[in-house]
Amino acid sequence: MSIIQVRDVTKVYNKEQVPVHALNGVSLDIEEGEFTAIVGPSGSGKTTLLNIIGGLDEPTEGTVEIHDTKIFSMSESKLIDFRLHHIGFVFQAYNLIPVLTAKENIAFILQMQGRPQKECTHRSMELLKMVGLEDKVDKRPSELSGGQQQRVAVARALASKPDFVLADEPTANLDSASTANLLDMMLRLNEEESITFIFSTHDQRVVERARRVVTLVDGKVDTDEERTEKNIEH
Amino acid sequence: MKFWAILKLSWKNVWRNPLRSTVVIMAVLLGTWAGIFSTALMSGLSMQYIKNQLDTSIAHLQIHHPKYQEENLPRYYIPNPDSLVDALQQYDFVQSVSPRTVVQGLASSTANSYGVTVKGIVTEMDTLVSDVHEYLKEGEGLAETSRNTVLIGDNLAKRLKLELRSRMVINFQDVEGNLTAGAFRVAGIFDTPNSVFDETHVFAKQEDLGRLLGRSHTIHEVALRVDDFKQADAYRDSLAQTSSLQIESWGDVSPSLRYTDSSLDFVLYIIMVIIAIALTFGIINTMLMAVLERTQELGMLMAIGVNRLRTFSMVMLETLFLTMVGVPFGMLLSWATIQWVSNVGIDLSAFAQGLEEYGMSTVVYPQLPEGYFLNIGLLMLVATLLAAVYPSIKALKLNPVQAIRKV
Repeated sequence: MSIIQVRDVTKVYNKEQVPVHALNGVSLDIEEGEFTAIVGPSGSGKTTLLNIIGGLDEPTEGTVEIHDTKIFSMSESKLIDFRLHHIGFVFQAYNLIPVLTAKENIAFILQMQGRPQKECTHRSMELLKMVGLEDKVDKRPSELSGGQQQRVAVARALASKPDFVLADEPTANLDSASTANLLDMMLRLNEEESITFIFSTHDQRVVERARRVVTLVDGKVDTDEERTEKNIEH
Repeated sequence: MKFWAILKLSWKNVWRNPLRSTVVIMAVLLGTWAGIFSTALMSGLSMQYIKNQLDTSIAHLQIHHPKYQEENLPRYYIPNPDSLVDALQQYDFVQSVSPRTVVQGLASSTANSYGVTVKGIVTEMDTLVSDVHEYLKEGEGLAETSRNTVLIGDNLAKRLKLELRSRMVINFQDVEGNLTAGAFRVAGIFDTPNSVFDETHVFAKQEDLGRLLGRSHTIHEVALRVDDFKQADAYRDSLAQTSSLQIESWGDVSPSLRYTDSSLDFVLYIIMVIIAIALTFGIINTMLMAVLERTQELGMLMAIGVNRLRTFSMVMLETLFLTMVGVPFGMLLSWATIQWVSNVGIDLSAFAQGLEEYGMSTVVYPQLPEGYFLNIGLLMLVATLLAAVYPSIKALKLNPVQAIRKV
């Protein structure tokens, strides 16, 4: 069942002066439980597509539906609230709140949703355990390695039990070991918890383990490859 | 829960850069202190100036013959002054009354001559209205037993080259309009904070002046001290209902003094507003830095679902926390400073000459008018919160996509 439907999405930056066509009529369906990599050379429109799917950037033309809801028909405040409840974000630079501990960073999302303190604490601890950082509960981001920070970021993205997680170049700042660990963890969550992951990447190590690879070239879908167990490298 | 999370995050953000936050808190603290203390200093200076004028020369209320203030002639004396004094003493708000004989004359010594106002007083009554006797620096005042003695100011003594027990002659008109003169011996020299007053006023015994005026017990002025000089206009109106004499409050006698008093509030608030504006720009600068260096983080917060109102509130709360620490401590420090300095005073004797020309004391005792303490605290609070609005709006206008990309 498609949870995301992207239809004929075009994004033109700098329309008034020198127009830059970041996306040219992209259409894409994402099914529940997918582990999808969006790949392509720099400037191909990967991040723009993720931003549009995440409701952070509005397309010049076309529509994005999430669970049959046209997200760009919503008011700005409703869209922000929609992101809070339905979408998890993981950023390249981790983007944790530096003054909060690992547990507090995760709990913050839940607090923003108005969940009771007890639930926030319980869920944060549960997620930290899930990402293997139960011993780093009270550590601040500056006390964690890059890989550990990105695991906290994934835990934060999962805090609100979102419909899907968008990850923009999640391994770009990580070494090989941390990349492998993060991918193992994301795949486990995908398999065991049926969490849908959509991520943009340049990283061949990530591409090799994706179940579906969408390649963008010049703002268009060049190839869309479903991977079978056989050709996924573990 | 949502607000609590934003509140908690704001508080933690305040201590993200402890040095910068401490500097802002110190700026707020010192701004509050400077505002309150300078207000108290200005207020102390002005109130002392007004009180000096009232206690040495003007008193709180004056009563004259209706024509006296126009022409200042000795023939315009108050009829039946004793019954007037008795009637005035019946009022609850009247603390003391001094009937005075007042003539304009020319004081001469062997060295020089100078125009003066001579006030004929009964010492026991006048000391309850005027503080001039407390400023005697030489001599012992107007003795009952000695005839034709005077008290003069030290500036007049210098001008006429007079010393204690020197002789001087004063020429003036009697009640019939004829010229008369009397020889007086200097029994005391006073030095009030008002150098102009010291140069132009002479005090003599009422009976001595009466003799020279050709009419004993000639009263031109009844000076009153009341329980609250700020109520002088109301008391004037109350007294005027039962008298045909000219009754004037100190503000009527000296409009410039009334203006000083009435403009004091305005001047004090202007000082405060100037300090608040300076503080505001300091806070705008700091909070703007705090927002700009966190662009990526703020963008991330907006991306993951923190709405604009909460982002705005977060920056506002950060400023509020800084203010809530700085303002109370600033108020406490200023209260302690004023308590201490209002007892020991600030010695400005280095500027004595200039200050005395304007009738001001050389030792200033800062005092804060009622209500100012809270008003200034609130003003500082409002100023700092207003200062936070621009950086908060800046945060509000961030585009999450661009902000996240910013390194």
